[in-house]
Amino acid sequence: MKTIRERTSMVVFAVMAMMGVAFLAAPNLANSQTTTAVSGAASFNPPPCDYKDQFYMDNGLDPTQVVGRFGSARLTGPPATGNQVNWVADSTCSQRDPDRRNFRILAITGGFPDDQSGSPTEFITILGFVTNQNLIPSGINAFETTYSRNVGAINGGLDGDQQNPGETISIVNSANPRSITMQNLVSNFEAYPAPKQRLANGQIALNPCQADMVSPLAPAQPCFDLSTVNAVFTPALRQDWRFATNRNAIDGSDNNCISNNPAVCTPPNGTGSAPPQSDSPFGYFCDDLLGMWINSFFWYTVDPADHTSPLGKTCTPILKKLGQQNGLTPDGTPIVKTGDELDNILEANGCAAEGQLAFDGSDGGAIWLVCPAIPDPRAGAISADAFLDQAHNSNGTVQNIGLLENFLSLQIFGVFFTQLESSQQSQITAQAVKQQ
Amino acid sequence: MPNAKGTRVSRRDFNKLAASTAAVGPFFLFSGRAGATQKTLKIAKWSHFVPQFDPWFENIAREWGQQHDTQVTVENIPVEKISAVASAEVKAGKGHDVFIFPWPPAQYYQHAVDHTEIYQRVAGKYGAIPQIAYRSTYNVKNKQHFAFADFWAPSPLHFRQDYWAKVGMPLGPGHYGSLYGGGKRLRDEFHIPCGLAFTPTLEGNITLHTMLYAFRAWILTGNDEVVFNRNVFAGVALKYLQQLYRETGTPDQLSWQPGGSVQAMLAGKTSCAINAISLLRAAEEQDAEAASKIWIQPPLLGRSGMGVTALPHITNCSLVWSFGQNQDEAKQFVADLIDSSRTGYAASLGFNFPTYAKTVPDLIVHLGKDPQANPHDKYLLLKDALHWTPNLGVPGFATPAFMEVFNSFLIPKMVQRVLKGQSSPEDAAAAAAVEIQRIADKWQQVN
Repeated sequence: MKTIRERTSMVVFAVMAMMGVAFLAAPNLANSQTTTAVSGAASFNPPPCDYKDQFYMDNGLDPTQVVGRFGSARLTGPPATGNQVNWVADSTCSQRDPDRRNFRILAITGGFPDDQSGSPTEFITILGFVTNQNLIPSGINAFETTYSRNVGAINGGLDGDQQNPGETISIVNSANPRSITMQNLVSNFEAYPAPKQRLANGQIALNPCQADMVSPLAPAQPCFDLSTVNAVFTPALRQDWRFATNRNAIDGSDNNCISNNPAVCTPPNGTGSAPPQSDSPFGYFCDDLLGMWINSFFWYTVDPADHTSPLGKTCTPILKKLGQQNGLTPDGTPIVKTGDELDNILEANGCAAEGQLAFDGSDGGAIWLVCPAIPDPRAGAISADAFLDQAHNSNGTVQNIGLLENFLSLQIFGVFFTQLESSQQSQITAQAVKQQ
Repeated sequence: MPNAKGTRVSRRDFNKLAASTAAVGPFFLFSGRAGATQKTLKIAKWSHFVPQFDPWFENIAREWGQQHDTQVTVENIPVEKISAVASAEVKAGKGHDVFIFPWPPAQYYQHAVDHTEIYQRVAGKYGAIPQIAYRSTYNVKNKQHFAFADFWAPSPLHFRQDYWAKVGMPLGPGHYGSLYGGGKRLRDEFHIPCGLAFTPTLEGNITLHTMLYAFRAWILTGNDEVVFNRNVFAGVALKYLQQLYRETGTPDQLSWQPGGSVQAMLAGKTSCAINAISLLRAAEEQDAEAASKIWIQPPLLGRSGMGVTALPHITNCSLVWSFGQNQDEAKQFVADLIDSSRTGYAASLGFNFPTYAKTVPDLIVHLGKDPQANPHDKYLLLKDALHWTPNLGVPGFATPAFMEVFNSFLIPKMVQRVLKGQSSPEDAAAAAAVEIQRIADKWQQVN
């Protein structure tokens, strides 16, 4: 059986051949990988690479505490399968972005945005994991407590005339110059992994094994384990991720509602009949520069086959309806695409719960992720050799073909699927169906 | 002591700042006028938690009176007696001309003048009504404002950094799961309980309403429809509280008098609290070393999409009674009081966060260079507090029904029944929901 990567490459070349468009290989890639796939369209967005150590430190995270960091670890293994590799050396990374080191990421993880649309349009790269706030007894903090670096100092440019003391990037008492601690900042960005709950014996576990996460709605045993970072690798997930990149910029630069004027931030009639606009304090792409998230695991607290218990009687019709709408996971539970489905439909009725791992690391596992969303996955950001990391059904087919269609469309044409001509869409759909 | 930038900020500098503030603008800019008959203005206000504030306020009020040929009297009332005094005045149909509450006095809207006029007067100087004021003082039924809100106080999580460092969380617990897990280890291994207040006091009320809201266990919708216990969130929150109390707590949490959680933390007996910064201010006064060990962080990350959130510890609301004898003077005083927000902020040692940002335009500068704080930028974490602080009554307005639930301590009483083993979480939530429904129905009948 061909791997996804091999099949993806075939699609790339096949479509390009059909279109008669020359393949735009990046010149002098010393480390072998072909990066450019976009046919014809402008290719100006760089593909994702790992950050430099200094960039991690400038943003408050000790890079030595990043577990399973791409470029240093996890060359093979999940999400890569078969002959795939998760990353390659690529000397163009730092040329295109001086904050990046020369390891380009091929494993592109797909998911849903947190905008209630349920659209399969998010693409991220899971660079590594943070599993402790602080190591005992060494006292090493994952989030830096003190740091200082001067940048931009110029002494003697322009024949000695130019002088500039530069700016100091500092972290004091764990807080950056805006007095925001990285931990607090990241708590504003939740990623929602959905661990598989069906155990090897076929039984469904309704709670995690981590005692501080157990929901009172379901028995604590049997349980599913979240104690290693493997728990958030896609093969261990029952469905694709959901991410909240739509958080706001504190300075209003993304046109979020930071005004206190009710005429601006509440419905025009001022009745409060609708909630005020989202007004969260941080913007993902302008504040969370490492692209970090806190994992909010969510799980079902009821067996979909339970039609007899009070909770089962309540939840069975809810699960059935949601399953008909969104499809089912390999566990036989519905796929959840939006926050509304999780919070107001499932959790409100006791059919699901959510929680985070303990900050002291005692639960094990990935408390936080370094997994920056690709700001604009169009126009070159998805390279020819990249592969899509997504959830699969039990029969091996991809769970969300729309995600694959978008990925292939971005990889080949540099645009989202909906932006294609109908003939192009047909080509992509055919390939996606073939690949899944 | 050096601050983050290596410069020094002394108490003298801070005092200079306060003095310059006073010099730049008198609190009330009015020409004096001679009057034959001196009027009176009686003000009742809640006793501020920062002791320095009340003398400042009395002085301000006196100055205003001199400028308006009015004899002004100020009566400071302990927070726990505010409701009783206000109710007695309503019953009697007479009392103070201005009554300043530490929360939205929505229940008295029928006995309040329409404060929209005051907001309109203030708008010319400081802009449109801020959202937290609007949602705290607007009555959607009669389309009037029953009070005027000029400041509020955020409720960050306070934690003993040295204690939490012992369990691998030197930056604090961050979310409710870690509060439980770390709190359990702190009590099991170091015999230090968590110190959240679960009492029918203001701090207990704010703490528990915050926790319920963070667990999505809402009380009422924006239309005053009861949603409490109409889903599983209330039961889940109560079970969490039960587990938190059993495995991290102390019986003191159920019996503290007002301010008890603060005193316990100042004495080093507990590891955390949800409170206004008056807790830290008291620590700075009493024991600077202990104060340096008490850190603050934004509220804990809530569940079910609620994010990082905490209700305001104080929403300062001035109300002019409709039965008052000196309504014009009272309204004028309330409108003029906003001009002194900047010095009020200084007098409250940074406790009073202005509802109108323009009244303390350099708030962030103050937060970053606090002479009493160690380090001096300790309070800068609060600069985004308005983003994580909704109004009491959220997701709706501060309605009479919600405020009756709040002021009757229905939530702390419900929690106490569970924690004392007098009721199961399910039964307690169900009983509370019945009571909330009764209150909501009662207010539905009122025009």
